[in-house]
Amino acid sequence: MIDIGIVLEGIWSPIVFILVIILASIVAYWLYRMGNSQYEKTEHSGDPFISGNRPPGDIRKIHVGGDNLFWGLTKALKDYFDPLIEGHTGKLNDYMYWVVVTLAVVLVYIYLVV
Amino acid sequence: MSWESLLLMMPYITVVLLMVIGLFTVLFKKNLIKIIMGITIMQNGANLFLVSLAYRSGEYAPIFTSAESTDMVMPTPHALTLTSIVIGLATTALMLSFTIMIKRHYGSINTEDVRRCKE
Amino acid sequence: MNFDIFVHSPAFILGIPLLFAFLTPLVNRLSEQLRNVVFGIGLVLTAFFVGLMSYQVLTEGSWLYVFGANQPEPQNLLSYFYFRITFVADSFAVLATITISITAVAAGIYSYGFMKDETGLNKFYTLFLLTLAGVNGMVLTGDLFNLFVWFEVTSVASCALVAFRNYRGRSVEAALKYMVLSTVGGLLVLFSIGLMYGQYGVLNYALLTQSISGTFIDKLALGLLVVIFAMKASSAPMHMWAPDAYSEAPGSVTPFIAITSLGSLFVLFRLLFGVIGVNVDPSVSGTLLIILGVLSMIVGVTMALVQTDLKRLIAYLSVSQVGYMMMAVGVGLATLNSADYQNFGTLAMKGGLFHMINDGVYKALLFLSAVAVVHVTDIRSLNKLGGLAHDMPYTTVFFLIGALSIAGIPPLSGFSSKLLIYQSVYLYSPVLAIVALVVSIITLAVVGKAFFNAFLGPDQGLAEKKVPSSMLFGMGLLTVVVIIFTLFPNLIVSEIVSPAVKALVGVMP
Repeated sequence: MIDIGIVLEGIWSPIVFILVIILASIVAYWLYRMGNSQYEKTEHSGDPFISGNRPPGDIRKIHVGGDNLFWGLTKALKDYFDPLIEGHTGKLNDYMYWVVVTLAVVLVYIYLVV
Repeated sequence: MSWESLLLMMPYITVVLLMVIGLFTVLFKKNLIKIIMGITIMQNGANLFLVSLAYRSGEYAPIFTSAESTDMVMPTPHALTLTSIVIGLATTALMLSFTIMIKRHYGSINTEDVRRCKE
Repeated sequence: MNFDIFVHSPAFILGIPLLFAFLTPLVNRLSEQLRNVVFGIGLVLTAFFVGLMSYQVLTEGSWLYVFGANQPEPQNLLSYFYFRITFVADSFAVLATITISITAVAAGIYSYGFMKDETGLNKFYTLFLLTLAGVNGMVLTGDLFNLFVWFEVTSVASCALVAFRNYRGRSVEAALKYMVLSTVGGLLVLFSIGLMYGQYGVLNYALLTQSISGTFIDKLALGLLVVIFAMKASSAPMHMWAPDAYSEAPGSVTPFIAITSLGSLFVLFRLLFGVIGVNVDPSVSGTLLIILGVLSMIVGVTMALVQTDLKRLIAYLSVSQVGYMMMAVGVGLATLNSADYQNFGTLAMKGGLFHMINDGVYKALLFLSAVAVVHVTDIRSLNKLGGLAHDMPYTTVFFLIGALSIAGIPPLSGFSSKLLIYQSVYLYSPVLAIVALVVSIITLAVVGKAFFNAFLGPDQGLAEKKVPSSMLFGMGLLTVVVIIFTLFPNLIVSEIVSPAVKALVGVMP
């Protein structure tokens, strides 16, 4: 526990925040208006690409699935995630086991501390 | 501890035994029917606990007798026990009907097989 | 004799859903349209009486409602306590019942369109109203035995709701797990009630508060109550039933099942502050709450990160949100008897309770909009969903509002309550605040993943049908409430949450 000498109450006004968002949108729109209006869309502008190349296959079908997102993170933290996922075995006995274990730990804690 | 006080403790010892046996069954038996039987044993333990709490040596049951009203025990635990028995019936019936449906869908009532919801 | 409907409103909050629960199957024999109307009237009337009770509590102060007393507020309380059923109508109950009512009305309206094609709907509506009565009874009751009864009513009705689609094996499996845990939990609660009754001979909260002194047996009862109600509130490591039950229940009642666990959390707080926790040692039970809360936050959000089932993902997020409330209120409880309570403990309590009412609403919105996706496409896997923003513009907006709110992005309502929690918890221990912030960031990643996978990307033509208007209305109602909470957080905190904190911490009426 640290003593910083003051009690933080904080100021939070969503109205001001929304006003700022509106103001920022106006500025953004103004910047957008300053852009070149002569620009014309070519045939391939707006298409997805991977490393500068067009991806193979039908570009309309390209979609990143749920497994692919955060794949790197889950792979890197494999040692943390794997026991957690396997721990949720789906067995009724294990669910009860966790309740009883928590109960035991909590009771030991209460009797030791108080 | 004298023999008599041990005898007075008998209901509570039985309660602890019943609760532990029930909890043990729920924890270590794989058969769903046996798990539900374990829960019923626990229910009986809890009910016995409430009834033994109500017992006062030398006092009468709170029913219409010629006893003095001051000699009667408080009827609250009995009301509690009755309600708890009724609730126990409802929960047991519901769990057993779930088990019937699980047998239909999974073809097994072993908790090792009934684990499609996981991860 | 004058009949003050305001004073009698707690009885109606229980009576109306019970009456309409058993009225719906009868009316169903006449006509199905009429049954739907009766169900709607039951929900709205319950919410109306919650409104009456809230008005009375917030203007006139709280009262103890004694059933069957010749006057609603007896002068000689002690003579009534032994035999009568008492309800506590205070600001804390107001906070809880308002949260429950908003979700119940929205989920009920949503059910009209969602459950249209199912059979046996009269039983569905009966179970829905019984669950509503059970949760309301749980948070309103003023004595321990009633608490057990309503606990079991809620368990039975909500488990039957989870298993309502019994043609799916997984639903029945999830319901059985939930039921076994709830029943064992209920028995242990009954056991601890017996422990307290055996020592003090009373069951009433107010009388127990005066008499509990923290004996050896009291500690056992405290441990049992904390663990069982934390289990019902889906706190880690006992959260495992929650993702199963939430994801396998019929979609429209999923937020309602989540509300039953939020109701258990309300009861846990009331027991800890009003009955047993403060008398044994508030710092111990506060520390327990903080530990369980931090565990729930971390485990819930990291498990959500690896889920590919949309409903399961949100179920895990709900586990992590429960952790926030337990942590914040735990800080309030741990500092209760020290000077720190005035410095930041009360702020933490405000944050925690404000987060509860916020969470009840935006979690329901998130669940309902995710269920709309599943309803329209019949796909749950995030690997296969995609591009739905083209077909479901309204649902996309609703999901986005719910998602940003649960991730605590300003200016949405989730941010206001999380800000209170961060500030106050930081003063207790900076580590807790850091954990809360990191969990909030991962929550953003999780909902970002769900939103990106389900709604963004090229149109894949997955939507087979339109979202029924009643479902849109249900989600719209919750969105309006979220926006109200967003725009006027100060009003909500000063009018509803602060009195609730005072009622929770102060003595019972």
